[in-house]
Amino acid sequence: MSKQFLTLHTVDKAHPTDIFALAATPTTLLSASGSSTIRIFDTTAPDFPLTQSIEGAHKLGVHHLVTSKDGKVAASAGFEGTVKVWREDEAGVWGEVGLIKDSNKAGEIWAIALSADGSYLASTTYDGRINVWDLGQASMPKIREYETKGSFGMCIDLSADGHFTASGHENGSVYVFNNDTGRMLHSLAGLTKPIRTLSFSPASKLLAAAGDTRIIALYDVSSGEQVANLSGHAGWVLNLDWSATGEWLLSGSHDSKAKVWSLESRTCVATHSHGDQPLWAVKWLPKTGRSELFALAGGDGSVAFYREAAGG
Amino acid sequence: MLIQLSNRDWVIKKIELIFESIVDALLEKKDKLYISLKTRSGSKGRRIDPANGIVTSEDGLQTRIITFPGSTAQEAWRFTVLVRILELVHDALTSDAVITKRDIYYRSPDLFVKQAVVDRYVDDIACTFSVTRNLLNVSAAAKGLIVGNFNIQRSDGTIINGVTNREGTLILNLNEDDVLEVSAIHWIVVVEKEATFRSLVHSDLWVNISSQGIILTAKGYPDLATRAFLRVLTTVAPRIPLYAMMDFDPDGLAILSTYKYGSYSLAHENSHASSSSTSRPLNLPQIHWIGVKSCHLTSSPVLASDRREKAVGQTEGLLRLTTRDRRKARKMLEWDVLAEDGPEAEWRAEMQRMLLLNVKAEMQIFEEQPGGSGQWLKGELGLS
Repeated sequence: MSKQFLTLHTVDKAHPTDIFALAATPTTLLSASGSSTIRIFDTTAPDFPLTQSIEGAHKLGVHHLVTSKDGKVAASAGFEGTVKVWREDEAGVWGEVGLIKDSNKAGEIWAIALSADGSYLASTTYDGRINVWDLGQASMPKIREYETKGSFGMCIDLSADGHFTASGHENGSVYVFNNDTGRMLHSLAGLTKPIRTLSFSPASKLLAAAGDTRIIALYDVSSGEQVANLSGHAGWVLNLDWSATGEWLLSGSHDSKAKVWSLESRTCVATHSHGDQPLWAVKWLPKTGRSELFALAGGDGSVAFYREAAGG
Repeated sequence: MLIQLSNRDWVIKKIELIFESIVDALLEKKDKLYISLKTRSGSKGRRIDPANGIVTSEDGLQTRIITFPGSTAQEAWRFTVLVRILELVHDALTSDAVITKRDIYYRSPDLFVKQAVVDRYVDDIACTFSVTRNLLNVSAAAKGLIVGNFNIQRSDGTIINGVTNREGTLILNLNEDDVLEVSAIHWIVVVEKEATFRSLVHSDLWVNISSQGIILTAKGYPDLATRAFLRVLTTVAPRIPLYAMMDFDPDGLAILSTYKYGSYSLAHENSHASSSSTSRPLNLPQIHWIGVKSCHLTSSPVLASDRREKAVGQTEGLLRLTTRDRRKARKMLEWDVLAEDGPEAEWRAEMQRMLLLNVKAEMQIFEEQPGGSGQWLKGELGLS
């Protein structure tokens, strides 16, 4: 079975350099790059116009950018090692509401994730610590610290139901923590090379993880068992994202290929090339109309929007 | 020539003034002797000058008063070290001989304890006098290696030929009267490491192309002698492209930056060069970086042809960044050279990609390919 996705629109030179992250709200797409600026595009208009540029968000560049599921809160992580928290006001303008700095000098904050309601932020460090921060309090304090074996935490995700935190590490480890008990639930086996991306399914039942093995592993969150291997990428897998319904999984690779996987058939149903540069970021837009939309971005600085073909 | 003499006399005069003030203090039976020294600290107070590369601004220098006997034994030792180095530099200047930093160290190894002490104080003295180290008649010990189609005719009549010595010739300080002849070359390649230098000159390819170019290495961070030699070389052959082959890691980029803009710790060498007609600034604005870059990590033929069996992570020469690498990379992103609106957007992007991937690569990754690094270089240089 194959599925058709058509190029809808491309924003050329959305950023002057590599786009490292994309994040979505119900009406916008946020993008972050090696430049200091975060850009926001209106996804309700056919030509995806730029609506806001947050200049100087992180002087040394931005490597991670996430939004809460409700689209009210965004967080960005910069190369200088801090996280900024952003909120949209009533007029639709994003502004900074907080700064998170890891007091421990040895670590730098690397990957970040927001809870569905934007009240918690989870982060990784180079030396393998997982921290959770309470954004509900004005000082945004660290409220939990999970210890791992000290391998670089390259990626992190919080489940939509709020129960789980998962982290992927350079040595191939994947850990799932139970947020209610503060304990490690699973140390998942199966991958031995750097895990560069992981993502909980919208229903919080499955966890997808991938990286340098170029295989996407699917785990059952409650049992910790590996339930599928999706293979087909020829390059390192850099980013994963589930569609809102959980039907499709989107993956982006270092060799500039994006793939759409069907969860039902567990096969790749579409492959797209995006230039000849690493594809750092892949993102489904929240489903508003009949067809699914996704965005791809990476080393060439452009953002390409794709639409599911009718009847495909 | 006149200017050089007067410069030399001026430095001699400066040193003698210091000694005179010490003698005066002794005669006046003062209880303390002192020398004031301008020292360089961290990377503060440097700026990029479009013409000269990285230069010092006055606020980047700290003035330290070194006293004798001083409050601690350490301070008395510092004073002694400084007097001894000034004495040796004075000797070198008055006899018009060039001494190396290594020579200075071996004159009083018990006093200096280690080479780094000499290196630091010599540079501080140059900085205090606002002159380049060459004007103190002090050179670094020869470190760089050069091979290829060049001839140097020295003022004493000796001729050094680059082609005949396939192992490489030590890079030397060229005097005004030495003649460097490179009319047959089409390219100059600077490589970061001696290992790469060796593997290139021992490749079969080198036999065919050695008459067309020059390969040079400073074995890591370039010393002043190597940078000065390259400046002369690029002045003699201004239209000849100058390529750089560095490791894909923070040090590789820092070394590239040192070749192109100069050193953050020796910025005074660039600052003072323009005030004297006999010495040139040592920056190399035309240097062109050809690798290793992030695009070489996966596009190398060995990976394309052998993708199934050989994952990138297992490739020889591909390593993960250490904590030190990441810290260094983050610090370097703060350099003016790598600033968002700075002159080196590509370096900034490559450094960011390196941090994202958490991978570094040594030049050895090209050795894995058919034909090795020689074949790769041939492709990059567009040689048939």
